[in-house]
Amino acid sequence: MGEIRKLSFAYAGLLTLLGLTVGSSFVDLGGFNSAINLAIAAAKTAVIALSFMHLTSKGLPRLVVAAVGLWLVILFGLTLVGQ
Amino acid sequence: MSGQTQSIAFDKASREKAADILAMWVFIGSEAMLFGAIFLVFLIAHMNYGAAFAAASKHLSLRLGTLNTAILITSSFTMALAHMYSADGRWRAAIWSLAATSLLGLGFLAVKAVEYSKEFSDGLAPVLGAPFSYTGPDPVHAEFFFGLYFAMTFLHALHLIAGILAIAGVLALWSHANPAGRARRIQAVGLYWHFVDIVWVFLFPILYLINRG
Amino acid sequence: MSVSAAAANYLGEGSGPRAWLLTTDHKRVAWLYLVSLTAFFFLGGAFAVLIRIELATPAGDLVSDDVYNRLFSLHGIIMVWFFLVPSIPATLGNFLLPLMIGARDLAFPRLNLASWYVFIFGSFFALFSVVAGGVDTGWTFYTPLSTLYANGFVSSAALGVFIVGFSTIMTGINFIVTVHTLRAPGLTWFRLPIFVWTMYATALVMVLATPVLAASLILIVLERVFGIGIFNPRLGGDPLLFQHLFWFYSHPAVYIMILPGMGVVSEVLPCFSRRPLFGYKAVALSSMAIAVFGFLVWGHHMFVSGQSAYAGVVFSFLSFCVAIPSAIKVFNWSLTLRKGEISFETSMLYALFFLALFTFGGLAGLFLAALAIDEHVHDTYFVVAHFHYIMVGGMVTAYMAGLHFWWPKLTGRMYSETWGRIAATVTFLGFNLTFFPQYVLGFLGMPRRYHTYPPEFQFWHVLSSGGAVVLAIGYLLPLFYLTWSLFRGARAPDNPWQATGLEWQTSSPPPPHNFETMPVVTRPAYAYDMKGLEHERFSPHLEAGQ
Repeated sequence: MGEIRKLSFAYAGLLTLLGLTVGSSFVDLGGFNSAINLAIAAAKTAVIALSFMHLTSKGLPRLVVAAVGLWLVILFGLTLVGQ
Repeated sequence: MSGQTQSIAFDKASREKAADILAMWVFIGSEAMLFGAIFLVFLIAHMNYGAAFAAASKHLSLRLGTLNTAILITSSFTMALAHMYSADGRWRAAIWSLAATSLLGLGFLAVKAVEYSKEFSDGLAPVLGAPFSYTGPDPVHAEFFFGLYFAMTFLHALHLIAGILAIAGVLALWSHANPAGRARRIQAVGLYWHFVDIVWVFLFPILYLINRG
Repeated sequence: MSVSAAAANYLGEGSGPRAWLLTTDHKRVAWLYLVSLTAFFFLGGAFAVLIRIELATPAGDLVSDDVYNRLFSLHGIIMVWFFLVPSIPATLGNFLLPLMIGARDLAFPRLNLASWYVFIFGSFFALFSVVAGGVDTGWTFYTPLSTLYANGFVSSAALGVFIVGFSTIMTGINFIVTVHTLRAPGLTWFRLPIFVWTMYATALVMVLATPVLAASLILIVLERVFGIGIFNPRLGGDPLLFQHLFWFYSHPAVYIMILPGMGVVSEVLPCFSRRPLFGYKAVALSSMAIAVFGFLVWGHHMFVSGQSAYAGVVFSFLSFCVAIPSAIKVFNWSLTLRKGEISFETSMLYALFFLALFTFGGLAGLFLAALAIDEHVHDTYFVVAHFHYIMVGGMVTAYMAGLHFWWPKLTGRMYSETWGRIAATVTFLGFNLTFFPQYVLGFLGMPRRYHTYPPEFQFWHVLSSGGAVVLAIGYLLPLFYLTWSLFRGARAPDNPWQATGLEWQTSSPPPPHNFETMPVVTRPAYAYDMKGLEHERFSPHLEAGQ
């Protein structure tokens, strides 16, 4: 059935991303290690949110996510201005 | 119709379901701000003492950390299965998926406990006055790293424990709830569980993978 | 009063402790909050009175410096977290939000009751700190004072505030979901009363800011109890970072406190000037703008804390910007009054005093947003006067306006207009007498949080202390005549002020599920220029004879 296939794909994808992030940490890429790790974490988050948490279809939850994203940017941005 | 809604404020179960989902997302948004603030503390510390943090990070167990990440991802998968089965009315399968999820959660905590005890015995835990005997470079800032490590993972573990208790609550109240109520609760707990998983998805690389090269 | 009439309203649905303590009716939960918050208000006020008595003389002769530190810390902690933050949302908001949008209850009635229990649970921790010997960090819990040096009961106070934060978040979630999902048919966003808009904006700030405060308090408790040094400079931790996190919450928290007050005033002013609210959309959207911009200005609390000059310039500019939506509101309120048929009922008097005091306090805020002036008056009585004008002169005055405006709806009783007007006027005079001298003191260089001062400041301090006594009388009066009205007041009609708004379309007090038939909305808010509102206006002159 479609749903279980979709979830299994997502699960396999998450484990692959885990492998990638652990593997990449053994290669010295200078300053890029952290960037890659964070990009992979963001990708994992997207997979979990879209497939496990069904963020695709609902309007209001997406608005909440967008708002929280904006507020985190404010928190990080204006704090780092002072550093 | 009114038997299908939990709150007297709603006429229709579908409307109440939408309200439930929105409430969970707002709550998760709130939790995201909590962890966001703590991640910010870590980020600034990392910017200031990158070298010390990278060296200290190597003292964490990558094997156990990776294992735990895999365990949590699997638990999110079984949680998603529980939600799927409950939506289809396959209640037995849903119960098994929920049980598997909470067992995986307990497994995560067990692995974490092993890690903690190892760090305490290695003198890497600047907590509760335990002796701190770090031998690498810049032990002062390494102590800062381990302090943040314990604070962040402990807070995450508390959230996971709350998730396990929530699943236990859903199972305990199983026979008291009508099918619509069960599905609603599973969905709410599921959203929370996935969020706790996402927090770990970020904690793992920033704590364990700073630089293993 | 017949038995059937008693059963028809929410107050008649059982009267034992069980019926109140296990209620999920939002109107009864509002009462639970109202009673507990009133207790905290007078407890916090008692600390303030002790502070003012001590400051009547230059020498520290009533209390020691250590006790004085505890007095102002407890005054701040209790007033901010146990009164001001929950004040209007948890009482009037709880009661009115479902009524105003034509709903039977909040979206999650049990969560609502739970929020009160969490509030009470948290308050035990705070009260433990009071009884055990106090806290001496100020309400701000600044590190490293709070983590390394303070010898008071910081952990339990911080835990109390942390737990109360949960109750705030619960209320916020409930309000947001309620406004999104439970509006009556025909009640579009731009037909909502401004009070609902401000509740929504407040809930947004509650949900997004409170967790950041929670994070900073967790880190303090971890440092004090578990010895994990997050803000400890010895380990390279940054005490200033605590201030960033703290003010990321606590500046928006000022808007948690003032936005609901703006909502109340936006209801009262149109009603008693018989005019639609001027510039409805601008007022509604400026509430949302305040909720967002309020998050961009926290650094103005840290101009002299050692943040970079660049950050100072950015935060100064943004702080000037946040005055714009507030100014939009003040102009719109003033223009609502223009050409209105103004009458001076008690709640209108409070609302007008709000307008004056909020504007006065807000303009002083612009002084403080300017880097150079802030350098001079930072941490002086100028700042103390500024935020008391906003929080007490603004917020508490609006709270009193709302309490008097909706008292007939809450209780089904009328209070004495004469006493109400006296109390409002006494409060206004007492307030200005207490806090205007503090502007002068601050400008002359009197720092805050000192229990002694040079003799040349005594004149202003005595004025301020005398004002505090008047102010205390102003706040005690309603306690008596409102309580008296509960038992002896005249029966209130359904719509004593001939106000628009769905809450006035149901009986006073409302039935258990708010409306006999669920309302359908066909008009914009504040349709005071439309026909059909002229019947059954309550006349205090006629009722006074009874």
